[in-house]
Amino acid sequence: MFDAFIDGLFLVLQWKAFGLMLVGMGLGFCVGLLPGIGGAATLALMIPFVFKMQPAEAFAFLLGMHAVAATTGDITSVLFGVPGEAISAATVVDGHPMAKNGEAGRALGAALMSSLVGAVIGAVALALAIPIVRPLVLAFGSPELFMLAVIGISCITSLSGAGARGQIKGFAMGLLGLLVSTIGQERQSGSLRFDMGMMYLWDGLDFVPVLVGVFAIPEIIDLTVRGTAIAGERPAENLRNGVIEGIKDTFRHFWLVFRCSVVGVFVGILPGAGGGVAQWMAYAHAVQGAKDAKDRERFGKGDVRGVLGPGAANNSKEGGELIPTVAFGVPGSGAMAILLSAFLIMGLSPGPDMLTKHLSITFSMVWTLVIANIIAVLLCLTILDQLAKVTNIRGGLIIPFVLLLVFVGSYTANGQITDLIVTLIFGVLSYFMVLFGWPRPPFVLGFVLGKVIETYFFISVARYGSSWIRQPMVIFLIMLMVFVIAYPYIQQRRQRAERRANA
Amino acid sequence: MHNGRMLFCVFLIFVASTAIYLSLEWPFNAALFPLSVSIPLLILASTQLWQLLLGKEETIESAAVDLEFSSDVPPEIERRRVITAFSWIAGFILSVYLIGFPLTVPLFICCYLRFETGVGALATMAATAITWAIFYGLFQKLVHLQFEQGALQAWLGL
Repeated sequence: MFDAFIDGLFLVLQWKAFGLMLVGMGLGFCVGLLPGIGGAATLALMIPFVFKMQPAEAFAFLLGMHAVAATTGDITSVLFGVPGEAISAATVVDGHPMAKNGEAGRALGAALMSSLVGAVIGAVALALAIPIVRPLVLAFGSPELFMLAVIGISCITSLSGAGARGQIKGFAMGLLGLLVSTIGQERQSGSLRFDMGMMYLWDGLDFVPVLVGVFAIPEIIDLTVRGTAIAGERPAENLRNGVIEGIKDTFRHFWLVFRCSVVGVFVGILPGAGGGVAQWMAYAHAVQGAKDAKDRERFGKGDVRGVLGPGAANNSKEGGELIPTVAFGVPGSGAMAILLSAFLIMGLSPGPDMLTKHLSITFSMVWTLVIANIIAVLLCLTILDQLAKVTNIRGGLIIPFVLLLVFVGSYTANGQITDLIVTLIFGVLSYFMVLFGWPRPPFVLGFVLGKVIETYFFISVARYGSSWIRQPMVIFLIMLMVFVIAYPYIQQRRQRAERRANA
Repeated sequence: MHNGRMLFCVFLIFVASTAIYLSLEWPFNAALFPLSVSIPLLILASTQLWQLLLGKEETIESAAVDLEFSSDVPPEIERRRVITAFSWIAGFILSVYLIGFPLTVPLFICCYLRFETGVGALATMAATAITWAIFYGLFQKLVHLQFEQGALQAWLGL
């Protein structure tokens, strides 16, 4: 096994594979920066180019591109409040307020370094999981996946304001997100729901136009209203110090970064959960870590922990998603499904062979994830000084270009003008949500998880009847869900008791 | 602001009620999830509206874990700027509908920089040309994104 591990490294370091990885990284860098053009779409576009490559070269090229897109997606999220990738939306919540507070360098440094740490942890998990992955994945059927999605939804308690009023608003927004996710054809009976007679809605709403509208439009409106640069009238930050501070933050909060990376790996392993879930669960976990109500209030206003958690989870889930893809040929996400086709083009069949006969190729994937992320982060760190200066340019000069990015990004979802209208509608809704203090993260969580919950619920009932709820793993997950819901209340009670004791 | 908060609750109640009403006509499988989501939404939005009607103000700790708009601009200027921003966005979408993406991009950049930001004519022209070149090179030539023809072009048969 150790020999295969070293062989994997040498496969990536061969000049041709390494060169192709650099080309892939260049593409991934641009794709990550552009909202809407996701890593999965670019993987699909690049598949025809891998026909004449050797397996290790093809995976270096494709994985290098995919890994970097996840990392650079955070850059536009921090600088403009526009998620570069659907999986970097959670970074907007605290990353962009940091940029507005004149801490763009620190936010970018933290996002990139936590991404690197997350990617390395994901790759290590992939390497370690190879011998033990089978029982883990087989232990998760549809009832367990349903419960896991419900646990994801229960994170709303952490993403909402404290107290009864805050929780009412948070849960209402989560339910609204779930309701929006039901638009389109119901998968069991084929009935059309809330389609308003529009064929566009038959497939349901695409993530990109909705997420871009929810996060980017209110930021653009706020920037217009302020009439200043993104960083306001504050003096330009000492960027180098800011970036170094962000890197230090990653290690100051290393335990949080590690835990969020584990969340990312775990969610990545489970097919169907997706990166959108991993980042929000990680963000909720970061919020749960707040010491008291005052500490908690800092989230959403520019707390570096809100950048570190999602940054780490986004990248660690790449390693996690590769585990079932390589071991069983069960793709963990859309991007992995496309990668699976690359396996078949290369004449490799995912499964036991990848863990025995082609183990060195499997390890070359581990090395690609690590090396591509290290190079990408080092490159980004060298140009961050220039990137972060964007936050000191007058808003009026940036807005038309950001709007252009937003709408071209949202148009790529279906290539229809209706995508732009959907972005505008959710932008207006999101504007009023912010104006009246209704939290957006629970809405997004509900929207992302809605289809997963409904699908796995019906599969569980169809397959197991009512007995699915009595399965040991499901019972454990129900207990975990109760804990996740109760934890913020337990925390509040404990803090109140401490305050009383101190007084 | 208080009226706005109440109106938002009424909007949520309307959405939930409409969803319940429509769901009642669907088969059980299709209606189950929307119903089990919209009924609690209706209850929560009504509770929030009731609290507002009673005049119970929210505490600071119940504030959302989310963005807060800047509050240092006078309300009248704020309202005017919000309307201006949404008008530009709506204008952009209308323009895409009428003349398509490729023509809207230079037109929008040029108009926004010249009339909204007040950039000089030469700089505006340069920024427009560069943006159009990047848009054309990246999205049309490299990524091969297909952009719909504008309604006006279709009507004129261009």
